[in-house]
Amino acid sequence: MSTTVAPDAAEAHSAGPEEASDTGGRRLGQRQDLLRTLLLAGGTVLTLLITVWTLRIGAGGITTADAAQTLWDKLTGGLPATPEELRIQTTVWELRVPRAGLALLGGAALAIAGTLFQGLLRNPLVSPFTLGIAPAAAFGASMAILFAGGGTSSASLVGGALISGILCAAVVVGLAATKQMQPTTLILLGIALTQLFTALTAGLQYIANEEALAAIVRWTWGTVNGAVWYQVVTVAAMLAVALPFIQWRSSSVNAIAFAGDDAARSLGVPVTRVRLELIFVAVLLTAVTISFTGIIGFVGLVGPHIARLLIGPNHRFLLPFSAVVGGLLLVLADAVGRVVLAPALVPAGIVDALIGAPVFLYLILVRKKAF
Amino acid sequence: MSLEIRDLSVAYGRRTILDGVDLVVERGRLLGLLGPNGSGKSTLIKTVARIVKPRSGTLEWDGLPLDRLSRRDLARVVAYVPQAIDQSFSLSVREAVVLGRTPHFGARPRRRDWAKVDLALEQLGLVELADRPVSELSGGQAQRVLVARALAQEPQVLLLDEPTSALDLRYQLQTLHLAHTIAAEQGVATVVSIHDLNHAARFCDEVAFLSGGRVLAAGEPGEVYGADLVRDVYGVGVDLSVYDGFTEVHPQVKPDRTTRAVVPQAAPQTAPQVAPELAKVAS
Repeated sequence: MSTTVAPDAAEAHSAGPEEASDTGGRRLGQRQDLLRTLLLAGGTVLTLLITVWTLRIGAGGITTADAAQTLWDKLTGGLPATPEELRIQTTVWELRVPRAGLALLGGAALAIAGTLFQGLLRNPLVSPFTLGIAPAAAFGASMAILFAGGGTSSASLVGGALISGILCAAVVVGLAATKQMQPTTLILLGIALTQLFTALTAGLQYIANEEALAAIVRWTWGTVNGAVWYQVVTVAAMLAVALPFIQWRSSSVNAIAFAGDDAARSLGVPVTRVRLELIFVAVLLTAVTISFTGIIGFVGLVGPHIARLLIGPNHRFLLPFSAVVGGLLLVLADAVGRVVLAPALVPAGIVDALIGAPVFLYLILVRKKAF
Repeated sequence: MSLEIRDLSVAYGRRTILDGVDLVVERGRLLGLLGPNGSGKSTLIKTVARIVKPRSGTLEWDGLPLDRLSRRDLARVVAYVPQAIDQSFSLSVREAVVLGRTPHFGARPRRRDWAKVDLALEQLGLVELADRPVSELSGGQAQRVLVARALAQEPQVLLLDEPTSALDLRYQLQTLHLAHTIAAEQGVATVVSIHDLNHAARFCDEVAFLSGGRVLAAGEPGEVYGADLVRDVYGVGVDLSVYDGFTEVHPQVKPDRTTRAVVPQAAPQTAPQVAPELAKVAS
């Protein structure tokens, strides 16, 4: 059918000459997708290269080549020939790779969770912490520090942060389910629980001794300092399951984000179920990551926006690309935090916001139109 | 082939919105849903699109009960055009139309999906705007994007919820012409809810007057329109005339600009509340 049903002469003038480029236009849509796929692939490679490059940062005179050699040896089962090589290999593999890995994967997890929340709740202002997960996790961590003792990566601290973060999200989602999971309801409930857990944590800080208080505050800064291998493996395994599932649901996220709940239903998307499933995934990604790192806030809000400005709003590309951008942001934040006041370390959570905020301001201002 | 709505009732909690609605829309025909605010026009459209669940009644397309279809399969038969587009985030026009292919593709759109998208863009004269963000479009253009999205869905039933209420006169006429053309040329059973009785008389093959969740009258505009019916449905006294072969409705307005309004007689228990200003002029 070649009927042009737009009768408006002033605007239908395009119909004539554009007929010829019909097939060209078809290729255009696909070509745009191909370009985005290439950008995604290029961004992934660049991020991995930068991550390997940051392994050289720190004491011990280890070069990028040394780090790459270690990774190659571990991959191929090669053994270090000299004690010096063994020292390098141990430093790289046991200290630097876990922290870079946790920064990369944790940043990816937080950014992808942020993109999911923003899309599913149709709100550019929300982040992975919108449901109150962060203050709830801080409360759990504070409880663990106060009453169970232990260091920053002790099981009680990780467990306390994880459980209270997930419980808080479960309460919010459970209450919202009585109101058809409306986005506004979810956001408002999240605000209420954020206030509640902030107050509870403040109460714990009030009764804490100085040492515990310092530990609590340090935890809330967010860092990958204490990263150990099991944490990297946990986040990696979680992402390995979550990413394909999220990708499979990306066209449903598009319908919910861009058409609204009613129209998304008319497009065949089971809106409430998809929203519930993907919020569950986003909550897990967030809660597990921050139980290892403490509260790293900025990457989950700004990572998605930077990714959106670069690759566009289509979630089929935005979701994986925000993972790449979030990972890169946190790897860079950690690298800068180790260099800028060396030998002192600035927590990645702080650097993240210090770098991210100006970048974000710049991106907002150079955009022609409002968000 | 036709869309058959039989004894359809819908309630939000205890509030009955639709009360035993019977309607038939033939393939290739444009049905105009008329009635005051709150009469159930939107709810009827949303129920056919399964956005709202009915309390009772049946919906059939060509003898096939629609409730037997999965949501995804239903979306390949019935397309819905909402009143306004959500603008939190903005896609390009082309990608917004690709959304209409959601029930057709799996992980990503295929060649056939892109072909349908380009066809829909072309049919609505959106080719030149294809790479513009939807948020930059005028109201009329944004409306066309929503219709293009619905066309890309390749529906057999097309539902438009008050597509003209936010548009200026030119775009109102253009949108209704479009709805009529889609129905006639693509053989789609099309339903449009609309406030303007004169536009409905011009463009719709049939109209149905809803009031208090019931169908008070249905049929061809020229046969159905009557001063008594309009007074009962809208509470406004009118005169009818014929212009250019179409029935026209003229509200009776007194010299002091008040309307000769009448409270709808024997309103059913489910009737919407009469707007206060209407009640005032009536008294």
